[in-house]
Amino acid sequence: MFMKRQLPIAIAATIGFLTLFGWFVDEPHIKSFVDDDATQWFDILASFAMFLGALNLLKMQAIKVIRKQKGWPYAALAILGFTFSFTAGFILLGSYNVEISQYDDPAKVATVLASEINLDEKSAENILIAMPEGDTYIIDTPYFTKSGADNVVEQINAAGGTANMRATEWGSHISTRGSLFNWMFRFIFTPLSATMFALLAFFVASASYRAFKIRNFEATLLLISGIIIMLGRVPIGGHISAWFILYIVVLALSAGVNTWFKNRTYTLASVVGGVLLVTIAGFIMGWPVDQPAIFYLPVLQDWIYNNPNVAGARAIMIGIGLGIFATSIRYILGIEKSYIGE
Amino acid sequence: MEKFLDFIVRAGSLDRRYIFIVIALVVILPLFFPLGLPIRPTSSSQDVYNTVEKLEAGDKALVSFEYGPSTKPEIHPMAVALLRHLFQKDVKVYITCLWPDGQFMAMEALEQVADNQYNKVYGEDYVLLGYRPGAEAIIKGLVSNIRKVYTVDSRGDFLDDIPMMVDVNQVADFDFLFSASAGYPGTVEWVQYAADPVGITMSTGTTSIQVNEVMPYVQSGQIQGILGGMPGAAEYESLIGQAGIGTSGMDAQSVAHLVIVGFIIFGNISFFVERRRSKKY
Repeated sequence: MFMKRQLPIAIAATIGFLTLFGWFVDEPHIKSFVDDDATQWFDILASFAMFLGALNLLKMQAIKVIRKQKGWPYAALAILGFTFSFTAGFILLGSYNVEISQYDDPAKVATVLASEINLDEKSAENILIAMPEGDTYIIDTPYFTKSGADNVVEQINAAGGTANMRATEWGSHISTRGSLFNWMFRFIFTPLSATMFALLAFFVASASYRAFKIRNFEATLLLISGIIIMLGRVPIGGHISAWFILYIVVLALSAGVNTWFKNRTYTLASVVGGVLLVTIAGFIMGWPVDQPAIFYLPVLQDWIYNNPNVAGARAIMIGIGLGIFATSIRYILGIEKSYIGE
Repeated sequence: MEKFLDFIVRAGSLDRRYIFIVIALVVILPLFFPLGLPIRPTSSSQDVYNTVEKLEAGDKALVSFEYGPSTKPEIHPMAVALLRHLFQKDVKVYITCLWPDGQFMAMEALEQVADNQYNKVYGEDYVLLGYRPGAEAIIKGLVSNIRKVYTVDSRGDFLDDIPMMVDVNQVADFDFLFSASAGYPGTVEWVQYAADPVGITMSTGTTSIQVNEVMPYVQSGQIQGILGGMPGAAEYESLIGQAGIGTSGMDAQSVAHLVIVGFIIFGNISFFVERRRSKKY
């Protein structure tokens, strides 16, 4: 019981207090613990957490496949993808370079080289001739397998050249351009991720068409500010004249007059009066696109970002901050025990 | 009139596949036939530009890549533009990644800008420290001692063997910090654990959706300007005078936004007609 309950709580409370004191107490040992040791512990734990996460993913997906639950083929694909990335990262090096150091007859070696770097023989020969003496030429794209690279080395050596195979170091094979892992990232992971995210545009359009409706005052506000942000953020918004927006405002106000008074004369008067007023003002001011600035979309969107948005975001941030503070205190004082399963 | 209203109501429940086709067309067509709409830099993008402009040759900039392929269209153009600006001014660039895929994004951007465009030398003009797991703890570690977080860079070279790492021990040794961020861990964590406690000048580039979250820090002066999504990237490209993917994507985004707004307005007209009819009967 002590090991399962009191000890974890004591550890959490002690470390919690120490970390908290690090911000307020100017004591070198505590400061060093907070700034160096605690962060390194966290890094180590985070690395292990990644392994745990990966194992958990495998377990969950494997259960789905074994029990043939709904969508199990996707789970099988997830396991396959995981296995492939794991193999490409940890088991197969997938990056073997071929370097040419010498040659007797550049034309013969160029025949082999040309087919490997997708150039004509003359260009390949020029590359070899331009190679300074004592230097080596490394074929840009590494080979996924050792046998593939060895095969090219043999061909070059048979053509009278001297070539060697050089394996990329473990660790840097992840970031080496053309390695198996890098290839997987560039040509499988990148397009798949980009595709998933790009689909959002379609769903946003479809959802806005169906759900973005003026049902009440709050929805109307959201809709109007959404439209202003969408148009004001992009260059086309800068081409929409403030006067056009002003005419829309006049029509919207007239719609309000109509709803409020339910009198056609008043509505007509507000429409005609408003349009006339705007038109006269436009002629006087010379119809500048960005004047009056208050109705110019880029200026309006700037104002929305900087005022109502920041006010709302700050309120949320302060709320979150207080929530984090309260939860942290509960953890430190041992009141919150969900992390030990209580 | 009644037939027209019938049509509007029917259009309100339009099969979403037609909407998908329209969106696909309005995104693809401007990419092939650019409209060349002029780009007007906002004050927040201008602030980022001005901050970088103040740096001098030999100054040190820490750039953090916290995005992956899914948000690449939004963040990558601004990361590339910023690197162009930094290398143009001969600023030394140190790159760290809080996201695992950020390292691949950084490699791609460096190959395009440092290697192919400016012929910069690795280890002397720029260094890619790579990815480390640990989010805020990594930032805190960098603030305290870089060598405790990174003993080697992304290529496996010891930090002490890299010429530009001499006398660079912690975040306080940098002159500028830029976070190219698509979420957590990212800009907010850099402000809370590095820029604010150390007092280093920081700017950021985020996805459009994140601008709301980061804006309070910009307004309070904790962050010097923000590049918001693809428009932010396009604005920065126009400021440095080198058009890139951000600029070419803005036409597509402009038309797509306009069409979506059109859909919203039409959807509402249909909604009102339908509601009026249902009240009538």
